[in-house]
Amino acid sequence: MIEAHELSKVFKVRKMRPGLWGAVRGLVSADVEEVRALDGVSFSVPAGERTAYLGVNGAGKSTTIKALAGVLTPTSGHCRVAGRDPRADRYAHARTIGVVFGHRTQLWWDLPVEESFRILARLHDMSKEDAALNRKLFDEVLDLGEIAHRPVRTLSLGQRMRAEVAAALFHNPRVLLLDEPTIGLDLLLKEAVHELVNRVVADRGTTVLLTSHDVADITAICERVVVVDSGRDVYTGDLDDLLRQAPTRTVRLDYSGDISPESLVSHVRHYIGLVQVEIVGRRRIKVEGPPDLATPQAVLNAVSGLVTVTDLVAPEPTLGEVLRALYVRTAEPARGAR
Amino acid sequence: MRRYLSLSLLLTGVGLRRILAYRSDFFVGIGAFALRVVMHALLLGVIYQYVSDIAGWTFDEALLLLGVAMLVRGLDHAFTDQLWELGRKLVQRGELVRYLVRPVHPLFSLLSERFCYPEGIGEVLAGLAVIFYAAGGLELDLGAGRIVLFGLLLLVGALVFAAVKLLLAALAFWTTTSLQVMTAVYEVADTARYPLDVFPVPIRVVLTSVIPFALTGFVPADYLLHGAGVLTWLAPVIAGVLTALALLAWSRGVRRFEAVGP
Repeated sequence: MIEAHELSKVFKVRKMRPGLWGAVRGLVSADVEEVRALDGVSFSVPAGERTAYLGVNGAGKSTTIKALAGVLTPTSGHCRVAGRDPRADRYAHARTIGVVFGHRTQLWWDLPVEESFRILARLHDMSKEDAALNRKLFDEVLDLGEIAHRPVRTLSLGQRMRAEVAAALFHNPRVLLLDEPTIGLDLLLKEAVHELVNRVVADRGTTVLLTSHDVADITAICERVVVVDSGRDVYTGDLDDLLRQAPTRTVRLDYSGDISPESLVSHVRHYIGLVQVEIVGRRRIKVEGPPDLATPQAVLNAVSGLVTVTDLVAPEPTLGEVLRALYVRTAEPARGAR
Repeated sequence: MRRYLSLSLLLTGVGLRRILAYRSDFFVGIGAFALRVVMHALLLGVIYQYVSDIAGWTFDEALLLLGVAMLVRGLDHAFTDQLWELGRKLVQRGELVRYLVRPVHPLFSLLSERFCYPEGIGEVLAGLAVIFYAAGGLELDLGAGRIVLFGLLLLVGALVFAAVKLLLAALAFWTTTSLQVMTAVYEVADTARYPLDVFPVPIRVVLTSVIPFALTGFVPADYLLHGAGVLTWLAPVIAGVLTALALLAWSRGVRRFEAVGP
């Protein structure tokens, strides 16, 4: 449904010279600096899949979304959404996609929210029934009723983002592009947005591509991930598989007993080997190491007979940790893990 | 085309509802324009205390010109006000993207944001009032044909205004913002309130061809008062050329737009 093939984008940025003299020189000859936002990214999202598009800041996430939305022309490579070049037939493309550009509004700034929906319904030639159905659904999930009569410019960020997501979904698009859709929302509103997206997507089989800094968005909505780093794609696959690739696991142990923390630490380190052991609190230690060594069982074996175990926690690796490790790994043999 | 007509109707309805919703805004706007009308009319009155005519124009004629200029400006104001935002920030902040992801012409999408803008409607009403007042003191030869052609010239004038605004706003695609240029050129638009004959020839040429603001006041008013002249027939041609240029600049600009920013 979404395909990107060797997508590259080079922005030409005029370099500003400092100071007044610099400004004058800039008028005569401009130093143009090339910034490579995307460097040959390829990926595809099958119809009906919900994919998170991940990367650190500056990895080219927004640029990709913009290229897919058809508001930016890639320098080289091409992309297709629903079999169509986004720039070739703008109107047909606009009917196919719904898009949220995080900070930017897509609503009619001076108009009440409900007027925006009315105009959207007409722009997309929706039937009255479809439009009414969606209004009802969004009122229900996002609690839009209370803000529907107010002009967009008077809404708080949280209220506006709810309306933005609803507006992107309003015309029943087949493809949903979400660039930071929950930015600025509190926990409850984030969940409301997740619920809306999941409900609509499940009903209609919408294909989703999401970028977010919030791991909660990703785990709540997506089952697949594409990871980009330095403008290149470095991992494509299942979210669960990616989580299992964590290079280290952590086990935290609370204990009671008379042994000094230092000697317990050194004992555990010798017993298991090749792991980091730290004192992280009063009668609490943390064991960190490769997944096959830093197991709860190994830690239990190591301390048995020395202390009484009062609590033992082995948290799931967070997506953040996994990604960090992935970036480090792929930075070494450049483009190795593709 | 039918689709755009029906969308325009919808947006007109939205605009009118907005006037009702923000009634106080609307009346404050009308009040401001009324004040401006009174100021301009007073100024004219003071001038005509000392002279009986300016370049052959009597007080009532000059007042009619003032009304026509306001009406034309109001027509443009009511439908293309969002172009100021294009020159100010839409390119700079990359906010133009929202008009590019809707299944209508991006320019229509842009203008839809402030369609039937209350301030502009207020200006139109104020202009109409002045025209009717001034016409009361004049003996105008008003046939149906004349009124229709006058109406068309008003629309041509509004088109000129819109085209100049679009052309200047579209500069922002190359220069990031163009608000300063827009404001500067809009100062020139005030010349539309005066008979073209008071200016020296080089300025007359500029006001009828390069930045043809004479078309937004003088030409329709002169037609209504004194009958058709060369400019009456040239006006639609000039407006057409200018509009074509402005649309070209717009579409070129949209094509090079890169949606910078976060």
